[in-house]
Amino acid sequence: MSMMSVLSSVEPQLDWAEPQTGPEFEARLAAFEARIQRGEKIEPNDWMPLEYRKQLIRMISQHAHSEIVGCLPEGGWIPHAPTFRRKLALTAKVQDEAGHGQLLYRAAETLGVSREQMIDDLLAGRAKYSNIFNYPAVTWADVGMIGWLVDAAAIVNQLMLAEGSYGPYARAMKRICYEESFHLKQGHHFIVTMAGGTPQQRAMVQAALNRWWWPTLMMFGPSDRDSVHLEKMMRWKIKTRTNDELRYDFVAQYAPQILRLGLTIPDPELRYDEAARRWRFGEPDWEEFRRVISGHGPLNAERLAVRRAAHEEGRWVREALAAKSNRVQ
Amino acid sequence: MDTQLRTFEVFHQSKRGEPHVHVGAVHAPDAELALMLARDQFARRLDCTSLWVVPSDQITATTPAQAEAWFEPATDKSYREAAGFPMRDIIKKAENWSK
Amino acid sequence: MNNTQNVALIARLFSLADDEFLLGHRDSEWTGHAPLLEEDIAFSNIAQDEMGHALMWYTILHERFDQPAPDRLAFWRAADQFHNATLVELPRGDWAFTIVRQFLFDAYEQARNDWLRRCGYAPIEDAARKLAREEIYHLMHSQGWVLRLGDATEESHRRMQAALDLAWPHALGLFEPPAGDEAFGAKLPEIQAAWRAAVEPRLVQATLTIPGAATAIGGGRLGAHTPHLAELLTDLQKVARLEAPEAVW
Repeated sequence: MSMMSVLSSVEPQLDWAEPQTGPEFEARLAAFEARIQRGEKIEPNDWMPLEYRKQLIRMISQHAHSEIVGCLPEGGWIPHAPTFRRKLALTAKVQDEAGHGQLLYRAAETLGVSREQMIDDLLAGRAKYSNIFNYPAVTWADVGMIGWLVDAAAIVNQLMLAEGSYGPYARAMKRICYEESFHLKQGHHFIVTMAGGTPQQRAMVQAALNRWWWPTLMMFGPSDRDSVHLEKMMRWKIKTRTNDELRYDFVAQYAPQILRLGLTIPDPELRYDEAARRWRFGEPDWEEFRRVISGHGPLNAERLAVRRAAHEEGRWVREALAAKSNRVQ
Repeated sequence: MDTQLRTFEVFHQSKRGEPHVHVGAVHAPDAELALMLARDQFARRLDCTSLWVVPSDQITATTPAQAEAWFEPATDKSYREAAGFPMRDIIKKAENWSK
Repeated sequence: MNNTQNVALIARLFSLADDEFLLGHRDSEWTGHAPLLEEDIAFSNIAQDEMGHALMWYTILHERFDQPAPDRLAFWRAADQFHNATLVELPRGDWAFTIVRQFLFDAYEQARNDWLRRCGYAPIEDAARKLAREEIYHLMHSQGWVLRLGDATEESHRRMQAALDLAWPHALGLFEPPAGDEAFGAKLPEIQAAWRAAVEPRLVQATLTIPGAATAIGGGRLGAHTPHLAELLTDLQKVARLEAPEAVW
């Protein structure tokens, strides 16, 4: 085996068939877990158990796919944005989402999967991505609601991920969090502006909130009691907080801001419990969650069809670039 | 499955006097387009005075297996450090020599 | 400045602003759909730059020539009030068309800006100077793509040639004088010559053939547009027109 390695190896010193049991494995696993407990990062080419690698590939690639598909609900409204400021800000936001996808695919590539493969999996319907983007952005106000609430939820999640154990993912998350703060501000400004506008503008905002509140809560994933993998994800610092904790943080931070605007949150159980000093709220419809995440949401098929079309439309371009660069080599 | 071309690692200098820092990579067919794409991905917000791109397969790197042998010294190498030469006691002795 | 010159300046500023705005709008339609993820990001910057340039020109019209505010100009005029060349209102087409259009326009901007920087009207000279650096980058980017796609594969060559055949006559319309332009004294034939000298060698290098007896498709500068513009404006203005122009979004 070579003493030195070349950075680009998409398949680093990777043995997918390496045994995941036995004394040697256990010893390595113990050292790996001790490293994580000490707060050290795991870098590409470090030894890692296959399950860690697979979980991260799954998680990071799903995150990347979410950013790419996430370009669609808002991107579709760029041509209709009603002012220069909104049009420019929305274009920049969707650009950022594409940029985040780019960073995340690269982080996943360091674990031994190619971008070609990941994109192929997405377009063939084999890969998952965040449920939230399977809902339609029905009106202009939906764009603002996505920019505010969906991005707020994403930030709550991403701040946590930025503390994760895998170096490339944590680094990508820090950069992404920095850009998301602009998205959040833009979304908040958008909604507050409309909420202070004409009666029709306010009504549009309320209708958008009715559509997006529950899907946003579901972004944090299933309830902890139904979460597979949770214990291991926490021990390996792939996640450092639970779904329910994050969901609670989101409600505690954003429900008051929404209510202050005089809007109604579509959850009759939502209230602040003075005695316990905690927010109480209803349970998301997990049936709907399961239906949408398994491909039967309102726009799953359409979102993928649009991505496939864009990919096909661009095939001749990529082939041309490859052909030309091969000749020049 | 069609191609996503080659990858180029990107190094970014945020202002004059600072070193170039590795910030990520871009997929591109050649170095010239890679540089333009790197600018739009890595310098559209952050201050930038200079950008480098290098084909990923041109970077030779150490492996984790080498880290211990290459980077962790076995014996005391404090003779390389300022802290390896404590002064206080010997100064006291020399300054008080005639007393 | 006399009234004729004033009117000519306004017409010229509208043609500058409307060109950039509509091209930026068409460019922004690619966000999320570009052939390479990195290019999605890069081309979006170009779209934002163009819209930013338009905003700058509309702001001069508003602050110095008593025209309505930029949002009002962009979202509340009808097709026959726009002074863009028809080139920029055409749909985005495939990547070849977008790149060819962008290249022809970027080269036009460079040639035109060379002249605007010395046109004798300070706010336009200043604006042209400011825009110049982004335009240098745009031209480098679009030219790079033309050279990469023109001769790469049989399909890329075919698409690029078809794009050029479609775009060229409309591109010639960029040099149509806006109303009253004689008073402004723009050296449009010289600008066009400089533009041809810049684009032709690159197109030849890309193994593309410039349409021979192409006549300019004009009318845009004087408010006569293809049906594409009305369609574009319906999309562009549909949210803004849900409320009165005074509404705040």
